[in-house]
Amino acid sequence: MKETIRHKGRLAQTGIYLGKFLRMFIYQNDWKVLPMGAIIAAVVTFVVGANLFVTQEGTLTGSFALVCVCIWNGVFNSIQVVCRERDIVKREHRAGLHMSSYIAAHMIYQLLLCLAQTAITLLICRLTGVHIPERGVITPWGIVDLGITLLLVTYASDMLALMVSCMVRTTTAAMTVMPFLLIFQLVFSGSFFSLEGFAAKLTNLTISHWGLDGVCAIGRYNEQPMVMLWNTIFKFKDVEVLGKKPLLDLIVMAENNGYRDQFLLWSGAQNQNAAYAATAENLLRHWGVLALMAAVFAVVAVTALKFIDRDKR
Amino acid sequence: MRINELFSLSSLGFFWLPWVLLSWGLWGLSRKLRWEKRGLAWVPGARFFALGRSVEMPGDGAVYGVLEILFLVTRVLDLGAMSERVSVAMSLAMLVLLVTQLVYGIRLFLRLTLVFGVRRRWVWLWLLASWLPVCILAFGKRYQPREDLKLTEEWEAGTAPAPLAAAGRREEPGEEGLSVDLNERSVRDFGKKRYLLKDISLDIPNGSLVLLLGGSGSGKTTFINAVIGYEKADAKVTLNGADIYRDYDQVKYRIGFVPQQNLVRGNDTVIRTVTDAAQLRLPAELRRRERNTRVAEVMDLLGLSAGGEGLVAKKSGGQLRRISIAMELVTDPELFVLDEPDSGLDGVIAREIFEKLRAIADEGKIVIVITHTPDRVVDLFDKVIVLARDSGRVGRLAFYGTPQEAREFFGKDTMEGIVMSVNRKEEGGDGLGDECIERYARLTAAAQEGAAVS
Repeated sequence: MKETIRHKGRLAQTGIYLGKFLRMFIYQNDWKVLPMGAIIAAVVTFVVGANLFVTQEGTLTGSFALVCVCIWNGVFNSIQVVCRERDIVKREHRAGLHMSSYIAAHMIYQLLLCLAQTAITLLICRLTGVHIPERGVITPWGIVDLGITLLLVTYASDMLALMVSCMVRTTTAAMTVMPFLLIFQLVFSGSFFSLEGFAAKLTNLTISHWGLDGVCAIGRYNEQPMVMLWNTIFKFKDVEVLGKKPLLDLIVMAENNGYRDQFLLWSGAQNQNAAYAATAENLLRHWGVLALMAAVFAVVAVTALKFIDRDKR
Repeated sequence: MRINELFSLSSLGFFWLPWVLLSWGLWGLSRKLRWEKRGLAWVPGARFFALGRSVEMPGDGAVYGVLEILFLVTRVLDLGAMSERVSVAMSLAMLVLLVTQLVYGIRLFLRLTLVFGVRRRWVWLWLLASWLPVCILAFGKRYQPREDLKLTEEWEAGTAPAPLAAAGRREEPGEEGLSVDLNERSVRDFGKKRYLLKDISLDIPNGSLVLLLGGSGSGKTTFINAVIGYEKADAKVTLNGADIYRDYDQVKYRIGFVPQQNLVRGNDTVIRTVTDAAQLRLPAELRRRERNTRVAEVMDLLGLSAGGEGLVAKKSGGQLRRISIAMELVTDPELFVLDEPDSGLDGVIAREIFEKLRAIADEGKIVIVITHTPDRVVDLFDKVIVLARDSGRVGRLAFYGTPQEAREFFGKDTMEGIVMSVNRKEEGGDGLGDECIERYARLTAAAQEGAAVS
């Protein structure tokens, strides 16, 4: 028996693969996800950006749209990255590749990609005139808090898709699963669809739920005016009661005396949501859950890939 | 709770009666299809597993069986549901199961129509009332399973090796070169032990370029995987004294395996692809300069230096094969195995690749090659391994020796002729597999006795 020869360990292998992925970023046209993300962000902020972080309704809708952009970006980044080269990975595993190194390299590479996408999304928000909060909840800067939250949402989605990519064997299967992932995130975000019981508990498993809550907390949802009640009253302004129009009178009185904004703030104060509390503890919890999700997805990805040798010829 | 509905009149008519009739039909079929345990026809799940086995669709039968059980469970849960929400969920699950069952049921029944030689349009009857065509096939005297399909033979393939003498086993494996002493390589397939390879013993000296021949399904790739330790067999395989199975984590770096497909990332440069492969496979303590020198040597040897900075995806088929070879060769392996390195290449380029392999073997390495067009390069080889399937459809050693000895042994002028002689008659061959296996076993036994006497 010859003496034991040491080969590249996990850390060194991670470096080798990170270098490979970075080169492939240029050669494989992976860079195209950046302008694509910018276009999606521009379209979304153009539609919902005006009232984002201005009113409660605008914040909820806009935050959800922003989170959806991040989820979309993250999922598209990595849904095919492993399954499209599964046979190559199998060959390299046979030659001594550690799956943990391979996934670690992907995690670092994808983190860089997500960072770039988040920066682009924030830049688009700035350019399209979104009122990004000046004051942060954890850091002194709102844009930093928002950036970290969007990054975590993008990254957790990226890891979710990476996990799927490790579990399926073909790109067709990955693209078949992807719509289900996105629909699940959409339906179980916990804000737009009325969910009760078990279905409501499922929202705790979605990236969209924790991301949306985080963005609303940064936007200080609970401190914002609520316009829905005022708008509803406005809709019914011509309703007559005993020959009079009491709602119209109320509106005229509020407008003439400058009470409208006070009314909006008052109605917002009645519509508090503890999940959107702008406290460091609350936001940290959301960040923690998103980071934990990303970590769990990565662990499952490694575990799934460890069985790659069982693929039939 | 609506559990009482299970025993209602409508349940009797739409659920229990069809279930009993189908079971009765399957019980009748079990006689014609020669089930070992006919009573299984009445056992949910197991009956379709048995049906699948008897018509050589064990996978589909097993899935259908599981679906049947799941459907029954969800049905009971649905009827016993305490809340409407659970009931809705169960109904949804039943719907999904029904659709899946439908697909697998059609597959199984289409196979039944083939087995009984009836028209495929019977499947419509199956869709309307599955028990009806099953009962007709089971009890109609004019419907008998076709013997000419040889379904049983296919199902039994590999489960019992032909009673042939084993090719000579060596007392002690050699210290030098590659020594293979394979007792058997088998897998479990739906509970049945299936032999893929049996009784293969041979020694390959260092510096040999070896051709691995065999018809389709003779177990060439299985043999290679067993030899390099990727799929372990009941065997002892040593490479220059090192036990490949026992010390796999270390010995695997001394083995290079080039798969049939070009499993290389297209969007990286050639030089980086080979360098990364070297970093992964070569010892960690090797200095960067030494590693780069080794990469340059291999690139030179395989004629890749000129376009080294180009993208892999832009390279021709021949260059891709050479890149794939370079990735393994860069470690300077003691054992180098290539699965069809000439696949898809024209004669000139294929010859060029084999000449490179000859040069590698001349450096004292063992190079084993599978190829389906051996005759254009057979002059380069030192040895030939011929694998053949015996009458039990198990891969065995039919010959191991020099190309000239192989021609004399099989009485054929070409390597392709040799393959045809051991192929089964159904595959267009001469069907001499069993004969050659036995004859070679006798030959090696005689050689060993001779060696012992002398």
